[in-house]
Amino acid sequence: MKKILLIVPGILALTLAACSQETGNDAAEEAESLLTSEWQEVSEAAQGQKVNMYMWGGNDNINRYLDEWVAPRLKEDHDVELNRVPMNDSQDIINQLVDEKSVGKSEGSMDIIWINGENFKAAKDNELLWGDFTGQLPNFNDYINQEAPEIATDFGEPVDGLEAPWGKAQFVFVHDVNKSETPPKSMDELADWVQENPGQFTYPALPDFTGSAFVRHVLYETTGGYEQYQQPAAEIADLETRLEPMWQYLNEIEPFLWREGETYPESLAKQDQLFASGEIGMTMSYDPALAASEVLKGRFPESTRTFLLDGGTLANTHFLSIPFNSSAKAGAMVAINEMMSPAAQTAKLSPKNWGDLSALDLDKLSPEQQQAMNDVDLGKATLSLEELESHQLPELSADYIEIIEKGWMEHVAKD
Amino acid sequence: MWQKTKPYLLLLPTIGTIVLLFFGGLFDGLLKSFGYFPAIGETRFETTAYADLFRSSEFWESLVLTLRVAALSSVIAAVLGAFIAISLFMLNKLAKTGSAQFWHRLFQLPLTIPHLVGGYIIVLLFMQSGFLSKILASAGLIDKITDFPVLVNDPFGWGIILTYAWKEAPFVSLMIYPVLSRIHRSWRDVARVFGAGSWQFIREIVLPVMLPAWTIATFVVFVFTFSAFEVPFLLGVTYPSMLPVYSYQLYTSGTLADRPEALAVNIVLAVLTILLGLVVYYFSKRWNVFKGWD
Repeated sequence: MKKILLIVPGILALTLAACSQETGNDAAEEAESLLTSEWQEVSEAAQGQKVNMYMWGGNDNINRYLDEWVAPRLKEDHDVELNRVPMNDSQDIINQLVDEKSVGKSEGSMDIIWINGENFKAAKDNELLWGDFTGQLPNFNDYINQEAPEIATDFGEPVDGLEAPWGKAQFVFVHDVNKSETPPKSMDELADWVQENPGQFTYPALPDFTGSAFVRHVLYETTGGYEQYQQPAAEIADLETRLEPMWQYLNEIEPFLWREGETYPESLAKQDQLFASGEIGMTMSYDPALAASEVLKGRFPESTRTFLLDGGTLANTHFLSIPFNSSAKAGAMVAINEMMSPAAQTAKLSPKNWGDLSALDLDKLSPEQQQAMNDVDLGKATLSLEELESHQLPELSADYIEIIEKGWMEHVAKD
Repeated sequence: MWQKTKPYLLLLPTIGTIVLLFFGGLFDGLLKSFGYFPAIGETRFETTAYADLFRSSEFWESLVLTLRVAALSSVIAAVLGAFIAISLFMLNKLAKTGSAQFWHRLFQLPLTIPHLVGGYIIVLLFMQSGFLSKILASAGLIDKITDFPVLVNDPFGWGIILTYAWKEAPFVSLMIYPVLSRIHRSWRDVARVFGAGSWQFIREIVLPVMLPAWTIATFVVFVFTFSAFEVPFLLGVTYPSMLPVYSYQLYTSGTLADRPEALAVNIVLAVLTILLGLVVYYFSKRWNVFKGWD
């Protein structure tokens, strides 16, 4: 009996290993040809395909924009059916792909995935993405400034055509003008504001995406700018000491935070709830139009406004990609191309739909298209596109983010 | 032959599914916790994840918190559940069926609410800018909302305990009640003849009869609260977090290389649960609590 018990795990391990050797050769060749063929052929191959789009599903506006604006047009114009699959976290998408790769599943269920930053890096490092497809998309070639750093790299990682830019986001602070008429303009002023208004400020506990972004602003402002972090983290010998002022700043404001910094909201959703019910006077968002759409919904007070720091705030691009084992690659290409069209990008810009910044280069659009984009009413709470664009800072690469997220637990949350 | 094997064949689909999904997942987690992870090119077996885990103070603080919250939640739920069940039982014996039915349904209501929703209801009711706090403030009973006591996201874990006690008490009573309803009416009369009051009747007859079901129900609640995620995630504090939340943080914040440690937490949870199960089983056999089943 004992021997049998030992054999079972052995057999299981062997079968798992054996499964990962299989690949579908025919399908692979067919897919490869899509990377070189004419766009006409791609659209024909896409007809009648059903495309599953796996993405973070935590925002009603985004979900509605895809289901009610994008999907019907794709069906109508290209005979491609878009099926949105909501995920709790982009990390889960990567986890699932890793699992599919390790069991050798060559016909996966994901056709389009919405990723960026560390998830892109993880996907690229583990070869979970299909290939260099963006050069095939007409809208990518016509409307995108391919040399721009925020398009060519993703959180410092070269994109290599593995993913197509879908939109841009920028970090903004959200406040209630009734509680703070002149918002702080730097991290020092924020620290003063926090001490004058105890209990009115907090940020979501890391590894929350937005909380983590807030801490990166503290890093830039307390340790002397972002330029020094444009190299891999491993190359900075004295990184520990260099990060010290950031931990110090965070620990100095901690006693004046919501609930004396004993605990932090576990998610941005909780933090927004605290802001909406008036328990705190400030929140933050990596989506410049979120405040405007929350005011539209009546969740945030009418007196909600957004502000930036004089030294700028983080901006990044988010991308759409096609996994290695997508079963509808042509359909995915057509859908991604469609989502990059000026019409789709203009609709996406409106806070009524989503309020996400366009990924296109304004100069490459026709005068009518530019006019349409400028006519979008961004809402009172959203800053103008010029103001946002003149205050952008580049993102940090994923290896720093990891160090910061781990360090935060250790240096800030623990005591 | 067919007659003999038939029940087993009928059970096969269910057993197969459970073995494949549950044990398969557990086994996969076990392999990964030992660092065996072919997808990222790791095929060696090592115990570094466990060593790192047992060296970190976060893990031990998490473990203490988890045990404390699970113990308090299950004890409170057990006491409340027993109280509800016995009350319903006595009510049934005295009153007409109509009102007893109503109370039954009322106490079963929390069973229909998912834990996630239950946790969120507690948050919205009890946070300092929540429903209760605002009512008290507008009634002038407290000056400002920050005077309202901190009941959710508190370091002790009262928010989590409150949610579980409210959610699990009906479950415990549901497990005990059928056992109680097997107590014959005549027993009550016999007890009266021998001069037992209501109290003595409960102590001498009702409690011993329900003890086996009660022990098992309490243990089920303990294991559940020990390893569930959503309520502690919504109502806990950033540090220390309960073990399932700690595992989730490790799993989502790090790279793939951190996964063995996250899965090691889950394996520790599973092993502790099995050990606790054995302890409960051993003592219950020893005290002979199962004789109530006969």
